[in-house]
Amino acid sequence: MWRRTLLASRNLKATPVNVVVRKVSNAQQQYTTLENASEVKHHENLSKDWWNVNGPMAALHALNAIRVPFIRDGIISRGRVEAPYINTTNVLCKQQLLEVGCGGGILSEQLARLGATVIGLDPGEELIKAARKHLSDHSPELCARVEYKMESIAQHANSNCEHYDAVIVSEVLEHVDDKTALLEACVRTLKPGGSIFITTLNKTLPMWMGGVVLGEYLLNIAPIGTHHWNKLISPLDVQRILDTMDCHTVLINGSTYDFWSNTWRWINSSQMCYALQAVKQRISY
Amino acid sequence: MLILLRTQSEVRLRTVTRLLAAQLVAQPKQAFSTTTSEHYDIIIGGGGLVGTTLAAAVAKNKTLADKKVLLLEGAPEFKGFDGKGPYHNRVSAINSNSIQLFKAIDAWSHIEASRYKPVKQMQVWESNSDALIQFQHENFANGVACIIENDLILDAVYARVKEACNVKVLNRARIESVRLPQDSGCSNSEVTLQDGRQFTCELLVGADGANSVVRKQMGVDVFSLNYERMGLVATLELSDDAGDNAVAWQRFLPTGPVALLPLSEKESSLVWSTTVSHAKELQAMPPEQFVEVLNEAFCRQYPRVDLADKAVQALNAFFGHTSAQHHRQYPPRVCNVKERSRATFPLGFLHASSYVCRGAALVGDAAHRVHPLAGQGVNLGFSDVRYLVESLASGAYAGFKLGDKQHLVKYEQKCLTKNVPIMIGVHGLHTLYSTDFSPVVLLRSLGLQLTQNLPPIKNLFMKQAMG
Repeated sequence: MWRRTLLASRNLKATPVNVVVRKVSNAQQQYTTLENASEVKHHENLSKDWWNVNGPMAALHALNAIRVPFIRDGIISRGRVEAPYINTTNVLCKQQLLEVGCGGGILSEQLARLGATVIGLDPGEELIKAARKHLSDHSPELCARVEYKMESIAQHANSNCEHYDAVIVSEVLEHVDDKTALLEACVRTLKPGGSIFITTLNKTLPMWMGGVVLGEYLLNIAPIGTHHWNKLISPLDVQRILDTMDCHTVLINGSTYDFWSNTWRWINSSQMCYALQAVKQRISY
Repeated sequence: MLILLRTQSEVRLRTVTRLLAAQLVAQPKQAFSTTTSEHYDIIIGGGGLVGTTLAAAVAKNKTLADKKVLLLEGAPEFKGFDGKGPYHNRVSAINSNSIQLFKAIDAWSHIEASRYKPVKQMQVWESNSDALIQFQHENFANGVACIIENDLILDAVYARVKEACNVKVLNRARIESVRLPQDSGCSNSEVTLQDGRQFTCELLVGADGANSVVRKQMGVDVFSLNYERMGLVATLELSDDAGDNAVAWQRFLPTGPVALLPLSEKESSLVWSTTVSHAKELQAMPPEQFVEVLNEAFCRQYPRVDLADKAVQALNAFFGHTSAQHHRQYPPRVCNVKERSRATFPLGFLHASSYVCRGAALVGDAAHRVHPLAGQGVNLGFSDVRYLVESLASGAYAGFKLGDKQHLVKYEQKCLTKNVPIMIGVHGLHTLYSTDFSPVVLLRSLGLQLTQNLPPIKNLFMKQAMG
């Protein structure tokens, strides 16, 4: 159990973290990265390996096997997919998706392959470059439907109010200080009735002991300071924040990572990691 | 923002120049491949039973309905099947799992409308002791398998393939060479035919038999054994005492098993595994002599291991059976062998260490080959087809590329879980029954008799073997 926790967090630390969010406290609308420069650099250094399925991003590639169906079925379950498209590889056509913190585009490309139009945001220049290069080299057929932008979500939200059918914040939240600001901007871009999908680590003792204490301080698997207790967030807190924005949580699934087989699976408990879907309510006057 | 835009366009410009440079360097080859190679989503190498069924199953699947499939077959166009003509000598014992697959792809009605023989019971016995086992469903309610001619199966699945608008069949197409993403660094697999035509695809499926070209290119380790045995097949005519001829018979002789598979009330198919020289001899014999030798093989008394006989009797007594209750049936007498129906083929064991890599997967004999003694070979191939189509559909529905190893690995896991125990079992039986060393005879006789007497164990074996 501990080793699994530890491995899960080791692999999770290397996620698209460099989300630029608005500092709510700053009245002058100044944008700043919440990650320090070395953290951005760290992930940019990984950009060359981002698409190596056996490299440091292996766990993130493996996560696609459960997060893509989670997002796909979440969108279907809200009745937003016409019946003839269900069970076809064009199931997400006509869906406008936004991925916040897309990194090298592992998730964006795969969602686009189901017919969706995807905008990926990430502040890491090297990552955006890697994402664009992979797209044009390996998936040219998706070029028309995928666009990567080096832009902050707050900026993006200003010009894309109520534009998206779904917003995806996958393995990002645990690296962001001001989660409320991030989520607020995300929800702003959502059409009423659209869904926000979040995957992240839970704020629990097993997760913290395994991921932070063992993984970082005792075994040095991850550099000290990659994860902080106060940056982790429980599903209940996410739910509470989203509730204040008229976003009702409809689904929370617990998941865990088996390092020996590099696979993720759903479990009955959200103690380790979790995936959450919330739906933006239509405002009725 | 402006700065951002400028950097972006700079990046684009740089990429364009780099691409142009790369194209200039690789121009002769690029020009060649772009003018001649045709792209498909899935290319199936090998249009045998398993490859063609795979093409039909992909075409039938709703999720994979928009995938373009190319089926490459080395032989000329399939001539079709005549349900009125004489029986073919190549037949398969099809289990219920495979029948379900045929039903799912709408090929079963085609087979049903022609001719096939359900087997109600199987009897397996040996030559060095009294041990015997009989397989049947309770009250013979269901058949344990169906004996179907290979050409009829092929005819049925070809009919489905021809209906499908997304499958193209290319005959006389022999694969000269294969390039996989792991060698070329491209995202597609490339196939070159002997006549120079080139194709690219996301997923290349090797259904090209035990000497698979695709497997060789995948670079997987192969565990293989040559049994130094040959299988002899023939179509036989039975004498009038055959009854409804619904029993499959198999006797383990010291040289290998000999089996009679019912085709109709008056005809059966023979599969006789024996030493290479004996097989050649049998093939060359005049028909009358061959029939005599064959009839003798089923009832001839071999040197017996008394201890094993006694142990079997004791065991039966322990379970409250007298030997009278346990009466052995004998197969019907063979009275003739159809002209030119005798053919031989080599027997061996083969298992690929891996069934998949990026851009390629193996099915059927390309991945595994077993002794025909349990009639498992082609059924394992059909179960591969089921698993592969399931995995491809769920992978494609989750946005994976068809050649992505991540979901192909799931296909491999399912196959290995199913195939390996069966293959070990079949190989084990072959080894166990290729000796007349007394202690082994004793143990195998006890094992067989114990299985016969313990229905739960017997049912377990039946479930494994019959799908």
